[in-house]
Amino acid sequence: MSCEMETELTAYLDGELTPADAASVRAHLAGCEHCRATEALLRQAVATLRILPDYEPSAAFRRRVLGRVEAAPLPLRARLADAFRPALLVPSAAGLLAASVVAVLLWGPGRTALPPELSDGEALGVALHYDVVADADYDLLGLDSPDDLEVVEHLQELEGRP
Amino acid sequence: MDTDADAELMLRVARGDRSAFTPLFDRHHRGVARFAFRFVGDRARAEELAQDIFVKLYRNAGRYRPSARFKTFLYRVAANHCLNEVRRGEYRVKHLSEGPEEGEPLETPAPEAERPDAHLAGRELESALGIALRSLSDRERAAFTLARFEGMAYREIAEVLEASEAAVKSLIHRATLTVARSLEAFQAGAEPLRSRA
Repeated sequence: MSCEMETELTAYLDGELTPADAASVRAHLAGCEHCRATEALLRQAVATLRILPDYEPSAAFRRRVLGRVEAAPLPLRARLADAFRPALLVPSAAGLLAASVVAVLLWGPGRTALPPELSDGEALGVALHYDVVADADYDLLGLDSPDDLEVVEHLQELEGRP
Repeated sequence: MDTDADAELMLRVARGDRSAFTPLFDRHHRGVARFAFRFVGDRARAEELAQDIFVKLYRNAGRYRPSARFKTFLYRVAANHCLNEVRRGEYRVKHLSEGPEEGEPLETPAPEAERPDAHLAGRELESALGIALRSLSDRERAAFTLARFEGMAYREIAEVLEASEAAVKSLIHRATLTVARSLEAFQAGAEPLRSRA
């Protein structure tokens, strides 16, 4: 026969109940033989698990993991930061054309102000060189998973802008 | 090393500083490997999983936000990876009750004679525990392992498993009761219970 209070017993043993709830359990245990037996069973099991020898990974484990990390490309954020470093950006023909179009659109007849999102030079630089990433070989950037593609879709976060 | 130091190391990794990864790994690799071992019940597969977890951690370093405690972030990656791998069937949950593979070292090096008071010590206890863990659901096993072997609080486990604290409390209670009954049956010399609590 189970008791409604039984479900509280493990949390009670683990010290996860509020003081008031723990006091309720203590009071209940005084009058419930079933829960006292269950509490003793749980307590014994938790104590038994503590005598298990600790798990130790093999000596080769560390070498293998650090070797794989060393061989892996840098995290995407770091690679993109490198890609957007001004000294490394060489405007492509498409980029120059895009810049010309943007310039005409922004400063041509009837235009007097930049849109807010392009009001700073850094944002404009990223926009002008977006083709560096947009046209890049995804393998080169290590974009081999949907997660990575999602990151590229949120480039503005990687660049630290709101 | 405190939690803030872990977070700072992780941010350095995200910026491309590979050297910052080694101290993070050294601090947490035993726990992650132990979690994987208790989850899949096989040493070799646990190490494969743990390797994948750390490589995934490195590759996704940019996703870490210091608002989340690093250990929570790490174990969320670990738990999700183990749960996904088991669900995909790439790893069959195999516990030590099936016996060690040929050439595989025993889990308990200490001779029984050195611990005469520990009736369930060593390999027999591991076997009984393995059977009990195999009878749990994946999420029960994950919650139980985080609580019993990694010493995490229920609130932290809830964050790792993206569940409510009430759900975690229930998972841990059911799992602990199942394990307790199995160990009791084993200790009494009976076949360990496989049924759910």
